[in-house]
Amino acid sequence: MSETEQKLRNEAMTLLEQGRADYIIGYEAGSLKFTTTPLITRDKDDIDRLVINPFILNNLSVFLGDISGKAGIVAKGCDSRSIVSLIQDQQLAREDIVIIGVPCSGVIDLNKVEKLTGKDRDELDDIAWAGDKAVVTIEGAKKEFPAKDVLMDDCLSCDMPAPQEYDILLDEVGPLVCDKELSRSQIKELEEMSPEQRWEFWKNEFSRCIRCYACRQVCPACFCKRCFVEETEPQWISPLPKWQDNLIFQMTRMIHVAGRCTDCGECQRSCPVNIPLRSLSKKMEEIADELFQYKAGTDKDAPPLMAAYESEEAEDFIR
Amino acid sequence: MKKVKKQDITRLLSQWQKEFTVFVPSRENGAAEMTVWDGQDVSFLDWYRNTVIPPKANFLLNMEIMFGFRKEDGSYNLELPAAATQKQLVFGIRPCDARATSIIDMVFKDAYEDKYYLNRRENTLLIGMGCLNPYDSCFCTSLGLGPAEATDVDLMLTDIGDDFLIEEVTDKGKELVARTEGVVEATRDDESRAGEVKDTAYKKVTRKIDTREIEKRLPASFDNEEFWEKVAAKCVSCGICTFLCPTCYCFDINDEMLKGDGARYRNWDSCSFPLYTKMPAENPREEKWRRVRQKVHHKYTFYPSLFDVIACTGCGRCIRLCPVNWDITQTLESVPAEAATGTEKK
Amino acid sequence: MAISDISHRKRYLAEGNVYLPHIAVIEKIIEETPGVLTFHFNFKDDKLKDEFTFESGQFGEYSIFGVGEAPFCISSSPTRRDHLEFAVQRAGRVTNALHRLGVGAEIGFRGPFGNSFPLDFLQGKNLVFVAGGIGLAPLRSLIWNVIDNRDKYENIDIIYGARSPLDLCFKYDLDAWEQDKTVKMTTTVDRGDDSWKGNVGFVPSITEQVAPSAKNAVAIVCGPPVMIRFTFPVLEKLGFTPEQMITTLEKRMKCGIGKCGRCNIGDIYVCRDGPVFSYAQIQGFLSSEY
Repeated sequence: MSETEQKLRNEAMTLLEQGRADYIIGYEAGSLKFTTTPLITRDKDDIDRLVINPFILNNLSVFLGDISGKAGIVAKGCDSRSIVSLIQDQQLAREDIVIIGVPCSGVIDLNKVEKLTGKDRDELDDIAWAGDKAVVTIEGAKKEFPAKDVLMDDCLSCDMPAPQEYDILLDEVGPLVCDKELSRSQIKELEEMSPEQRWEFWKNEFSRCIRCYACRQVCPACFCKRCFVEETEPQWISPLPKWQDNLIFQMTRMIHVAGRCTDCGECQRSCPVNIPLRSLSKKMEEIADELFQYKAGTDKDAPPLMAAYESEEAEDFIR
Repeated sequence: MKKVKKQDITRLLSQWQKEFTVFVPSRENGAAEMTVWDGQDVSFLDWYRNTVIPPKANFLLNMEIMFGFRKEDGSYNLELPAAATQKQLVFGIRPCDARATSIIDMVFKDAYEDKYYLNRRENTLLIGMGCLNPYDSCFCTSLGLGPAEATDVDLMLTDIGDDFLIEEVTDKGKELVARTEGVVEATRDDESRAGEVKDTAYKKVTRKIDTREIEKRLPASFDNEEFWEKVAAKCVSCGICTFLCPTCYCFDINDEMLKGDGARYRNWDSCSFPLYTKMPAENPREEKWRRVRQKVHHKYTFYPSLFDVIACTGCGRCIRLCPVNWDITQTLESVPAEAATGTEKK
Repeated sequence: MAISDISHRKRYLAEGNVYLPHIAVIEKIIEETPGVLTFHFNFKDDKLKDEFTFESGQFGEYSIFGVGEAPFCISSSPTRRDHLEFAVQRAGRVTNALHRLGVGAEIGFRGPFGNSFPLDFLQGKNLVFVAGGIGLAPLRSLIWNVIDNRDKYENIDIIYGARSPLDLCFKYDLDAWEQDKTVKMTTTVDRGDDSWKGNVGFVPSITEQVAPSAKNAVAIVCGPPVMIRFTFPVLEKLGFTPEQMITTLEKRMKCGIGKCGRCNIGDIYVCRDGPVFSYAQIQGFLSSEY
């Protein structure tokens, strides 16, 4: 057990014992290799199951809405921004949340490791960090890969690996490998396409959407009690998984989360049919920054981007 | 038993393609699924472990026209689509998925026949392929299956090195082999080699559940709200585990209308969605723990009570593909041994 | 538990396809309350019009093409086959669309589905009907059925309530039963108005006041879930056993034939095994999700 892990368990236990939190939301070891799974508990006996490792993928802030009472929550940089964003949208009260900040040096993208090694994740023996290299063990043999080749795309463009908003910080920020060019390489490809090519690209991608709504369900910014997709009077889009409706669903969702999305990457990671959703959400984030110099979830006292208006704001489209 | 040389698989599929729409595992479209064979590519022989989209999608389409309608002078004419009588052949289906298909057949045959599903089913040959490299999420052996056993298929192929051993499971399968060139008699050595391969594969499935114990404990757990709330806590209520489950068959019915012409469709639906059971005033499964309980009990209590079979084949998709690693085997194993003292009011 | 044998059901399947509706024409629309309409309809196909049969308690799936399909009980009695009826409370997409229909409009009908009230069991007994709001719709099919075969049954008690005088459905029926000397009719409202001279009180408490005898009796109860939940204990207090209490359950029954998956209560599919159940059966359900 690492020192950070021990510290986390001590802090979590103290929170429960002192009644500063009714629930702890953290990660425990998953049931498959290289996974963790959310641990949501009010039971002190569960606390020694909490872990911190390179596979703490989930953005746990999505569970805060389910909790009645105070929650102590383990948060990476992007997760803490989601929490702040939820506070801005008045979905949470700051005093109901104890943020246990985990400085993050990026999470490993198992899809990338699979591509690099030609093996499925369950066929690998081990994945570990050695400095800025990831060491993958396959059938006893070790292979090294530069961090930037195995980190999630969203981690490669992360500016805030340590939570800015926290109550407890478990550790100092570790080394962070960034490669913004690489992080947005697919967006660049899309930008270089003609509108017709882009249309074909997305038509093809959304043709395989099965409407499982995992992208929406794992997204902390999707906090609507009833999604527009499920409205029936009027019915905005068809519940049938036709590519046109799939595309409208995702476009509308992206606009709804603009200014709230912290590029945590959960939508894309969860998609069982590999639709590159981050190419949309990241682009939206870039546009929000470019037009309004706005970064989601960085100031809990600021009004939400889409709920505020200033007369000097860019309005190129209305002139 | 028969066998075919591995390098002759293309030749085999080409012959069958003349008679059937041949489906093979493909990941060309971004997620592994059974798609129509292009007449050449057999690269799936190298990478294929199982598909993400289960082969149930070949019978219960995730979007299907039930009938069309047209309004003329205030009157409606309904038009059934041509019956799905195109003969299809699904090549490479895994035993878990083949068994799953037999399991959901029961629902679509029960009481009222579902012609859409059954037409496709009756016009399909299933060519199974033994699964020699099961995932760490697989637990088929706990449900009376083997990863390479010949069940619920017409033909079963087992990789024995340079050849595939072919077991003719049904008469339909036997007839198909009889009219296929390139298939030869297998030797006793081939058969014993296949036996070894199957044994090895069987031993590779290490995830286990004790279905007898579960069948005993689970019904008693039904009213244990505390237990279900705890196991449901991390579920995000998406549709992955149900949509991609080979035995989940629940569906929705929706209309679409464009300028007087329209159609009624069937599409997949999921008991994980909060609105699935919503009525105007009430929703019997509004709380998440009720939905998680429904999903688990449907497979392990209700289905056995109705059809005498557990509606799970241990394919492991729900574990492997879950965004939060919600693991049904952990839930089943953690069901308390003691019945709850009636926490839920009747 | 197979509550009833489906193979004996009367059903009309178009070319064997159970999902294909029959075209029916709206012949008359009655405004019951500001939110509830009763539709009278008949099949377009003359042969079907003649041959169609159903039993009290069964339901159909009604289509508005292009909008969707929803389940409603057949609210008319099989003893009065000039036309069929169903009553609809405005609530969602399909019901709103139904409320926009006019006489002559075409709808789709699939059915009849589900089981029915057990007439054999009810014969020779005193019958106590307890209904609230639009919950009278399935019961009125049975009430007229019983009245049209009056000599087969003993005493008939009807206790019916709604939120306000304005919310009383089937007022023409209430009047007819009021006039009928062989029927004891009690009407109540939760809240009266200036012109209301009848009972004021919730259905369960009025039932307690009316205090129908449990002797050789069966109570048939239908209404909002909360009314049903409070009525059963009252009836139990009056001496009714769970076997003597019958209700009909409402669920989101999309397919109507036990396949689509949303109307189950444990291993019971309400659309296929119900919607009519005795309280004894309901108590035996594994789940309380009814």
